[in-house]
Amino acid sequence: MSLTPQTAEEGDRLPTVTFGPITRTTLALYAGASGDHNPIHIDLDFAKRAGLQDVFAHGMLSMAQLGRVATDWAGIDRLRGLSSRFTAITPVGATVTCEGRIAERFEQDGAPMLRVVLTATIDDGTQTLRGEALISAA
Amino acid sequence: MGIFDRTSAGYEAAPVEVTVERGPIAFFAETIGETNPIHFDVDAARAAGHPDVMAPATYPVVLDMAASKEGARKGQKDLLGLIAADMRYLLHGTENYTYSGPIYAGETVEIISRIKGFSDAKGGALEIAHLEMEIRHPDRGTLAIATRDLIHRLPKEAQS
Repeated sequence: MSLTPQTAEEGDRLPTVTFGPITRTTLALYAGASGDHNPIHIDLDFAKRAGLQDVFAHGMLSMAQLGRVATDWAGIDRLRGLSSRFTAITPVGATVTCEGRIAERFEQDGAPMLRVVLTATIDDGTQTLRGEALISAA
Repeated sequence: MGIFDRTSAGYEAAPVEVTVERGPIAFFAETIGETNPIHFDVDAARAAGHPDVMAPATYPVVLDMAASKEGARKGQKDLLGLIAADMRYLLHGTENYTYSGPIYAGETVEIISRIKGFSDAKGGALEIAHLEMEIRHPDRGTLAIATRDLIHRLPKEAQS
């Protein structure tokens, strides 16, 4: 039986979403699609002048994957909130694995809600994002 | 001490109108690997009961960027300039969305950007700018509120 927002309990895990490997093309496309043209993500010459060895991925590209963990499972119409803290950069070539775990079932204004803890982790085990989704369980 | 211009706290930009467009939503959805066709196929969206393709969960960042560019065309000052962000030291700390209603292609929404304030962390090694962006529909009201922390990782000479 598959897990639904109505039946999910604390500790239950959501289906994982993986994204990548993230190429320079991915970053160019994300810059165009998002409108975030910060050269630190797409221009190697700029990144080197800023003292970095390479460009790195937009944090928001990984946050989009956290969003997919929540909405692939619950549907976007149930999503009430999505938040993320960016804890480490995501290098070019990384594959991001995003996981969700039900942290709490609670009531908000009399309606059942789920708080889901979300994490993004790259190949070497570094956690790059830690976030939360609020999902209506009605 | 810090680098941010803290006198900008409390600033609220004039609302900027942005039209949510079908093609850009589909391009964004496909770029992030979205598999639900309600985000890129108008027929699938309508079959699911929606008037048009729906913006994915992190689409507010796209509307924010679009509003910032549109505001600049109209002579509005850009938020990063107002807070005096220094791209050499700037990090994206947090991003937070609260959703009140769906955002559909074809709608024209208002984006209102605010500078909520500033704080310090790690004994003065970091300073944080707290920003907010509201997406408002003329009839349906607030659709989403985004808050964002931008961080300066301060060089020694700028630490207090």
